[in-house]
Amino acid sequence: MKRAWKIYKILTIQNLKRLMEYKIDFLTGAISFLIDQAVGIGFIFIIFSQIPNLAGFTFEQIVFIYGFSLIPKGIDHLLTDNLWSVGYFIVRKGDFDKYLTRPINPLFHVIAENFQLDAIGELLVGIVLVCSVAGTVGMVVTPLSILLFIIVIPFSSLIYTSIKMGTAAIAFWTKQSGQITQVFYMANEFAKYPTTIYNQFIRTIITYVVPFAFTGYYPAMYLLTGENPLFNIGGTVIISIILFIIAYTIWCKGLNAYESAGS
Amino acid sequence: MHKVKKLYFPFTRAGIQELLAYRMNFLCFFFGELFYCFVMYYVWKAVFESSGSGTFMDFSMNDMVVYLFISNVTGFITSSNVCEQVGDEIKDGSISMRLIKPVNCNLSYLFKELGQLVVLLTLIFVPMVLGVEIYRYCVNGFIMFNIVNFLLYLLSASFAYLISFYLNLCFGFMAFFVKNLWGFNILKKSLIKFLSGAVIPLAFMPNIIKQILELMPFASLSYTPVMIYMGKYDTQQIVFNILLQLFWLMFFYVLSKLIWKKAIKYLCVQGG
Repeated sequence: MKRAWKIYKILTIQNLKRLMEYKIDFLTGAISFLIDQAVGIGFIFIIFSQIPNLAGFTFEQIVFIYGFSLIPKGIDHLLTDNLWSVGYFIVRKGDFDKYLTRPINPLFHVIAENFQLDAIGELLVGIVLVCSVAGTVGMVVTPLSILLFIIVIPFSSLIYTSIKMGTAAIAFWTKQSGQITQVFYMANEFAKYPTTIYNQFIRTIITYVVPFAFTGYYPAMYLLTGENPLFNIGGTVIISIILFIIAYTIWCKGLNAYESAGS
Repeated sequence: MHKVKKLYFPFTRAGIQELLAYRMNFLCFFFGELFYCFVMYYVWKAVFESSGSGTFMDFSMNDMVVYLFISNVTGFITSSNVCEQVGDEIKDGSISMRLIKPVNCNLSYLFKELGQLVVLLTLIFVPMVLGVEIYRYCVNGFIMFNIVNFLLYLLSASFAYLISFYLNLCFGFMAFFVKNLWGFNILKKSLIKFLSGAVIPLAFMPNIIKQILELMPFASLSYTPVMIYMGKYDTQQIVFNILLQLFWLMFFYVLSKLIWKKAIKYLCVQGG
């Protein structure tokens, strides 16, 4: 554990050095993620300029859910962005051999190798949104809810990571799977709004199959209403762990099946 | 004409073959976009249910569905990835192979992309338009498809494509000056998404912003053709907006030529 932390620190420092070299790239990347989210908020703003509530939710509540959904997304983006590269080109170009020849867990190595500071754009917008409406939204603030808030965030992020890992691992058989990751990942758009606006079919899918609802709506609902902690928070924890186990199994099976693509 | 055909059609064929060989790439990408459309569809449905009235700023639910899906598919087919391609070729130096061929460099990119466009039109555009029209037919009980509007839409969308091509070409040429384009590409994409009305229809923007954005080249990329498709523009507006598209097309065409002339002197291929 101590060794892993030490390695992580070294790799991250290297990453930050690279970032300093390409300052403009980092800035434009972070700004563009920021613009993307700002536009999303602008959209909600325009809707609410015409209607008092959306499917029973007030402006502040929708902003809270939207902002909340960005935090796990941002954390996952910050820490595990390299999984994208596995699916898109690391395996295809035969570069994955590198990870197998090192005396550390290949998954850990892949993740530790990239520290994607661009995600700060998403993360900041999410935190600012949640904080800015937290006072007016009637959030239930008790020591317990704050504790659960802190606990649930890493598990929500784990849902993102697992989906990326499981789909990236398909590349071990097919050489390229970035597109599959992309399709699954795009489903996170559904998490930004209350699931009650979707029909039953989509609701079931985003709750149990590609459980992005647990990265935004459900945990945010607990914080808003204090209701159903068992499903809203407990469900997030359980689903994310199950998903992680499935994804990690696929990953390990994939590693065994991996054949180098040559160089 | 025969010479053009002989010189550039191989590029078109290469474009078709390349896209078909990597068909999973764009199909998956497209399905991702489709998710986004469906999210927006449900959001708008909830908006219309909550608002109580049948229209939202002069858009009915029907209009909204058409706008969502048609603007998305228009954005999809008129987007050009020549920017990435030029950028990559400049970065790894393979553009030198293109330069020594007796063809016009920009045209060779254009003809290659036209080949890809053929594939996208048949595999994505036609089914999408059919789907939207079937939806409209089912909801309203009569065919709302307007052939005149559709032909004008095709004309406007073609201009949109060419504007997008030359705009992206200009962006791609920036790789002559800055060696790393990745960040700029992402920024360009999110700006275009916003300014072209892909997320929020420009009609919903505050009046002054709307007027400015409608004149900017980004509106020409998908907003103008979609408005024509939906029949939201009268004859005068159609003429004005298509002329505006022509203006922007000329503008970016000339700009790309100017940058090319300047930039080619800077070309520095590192290794080969």
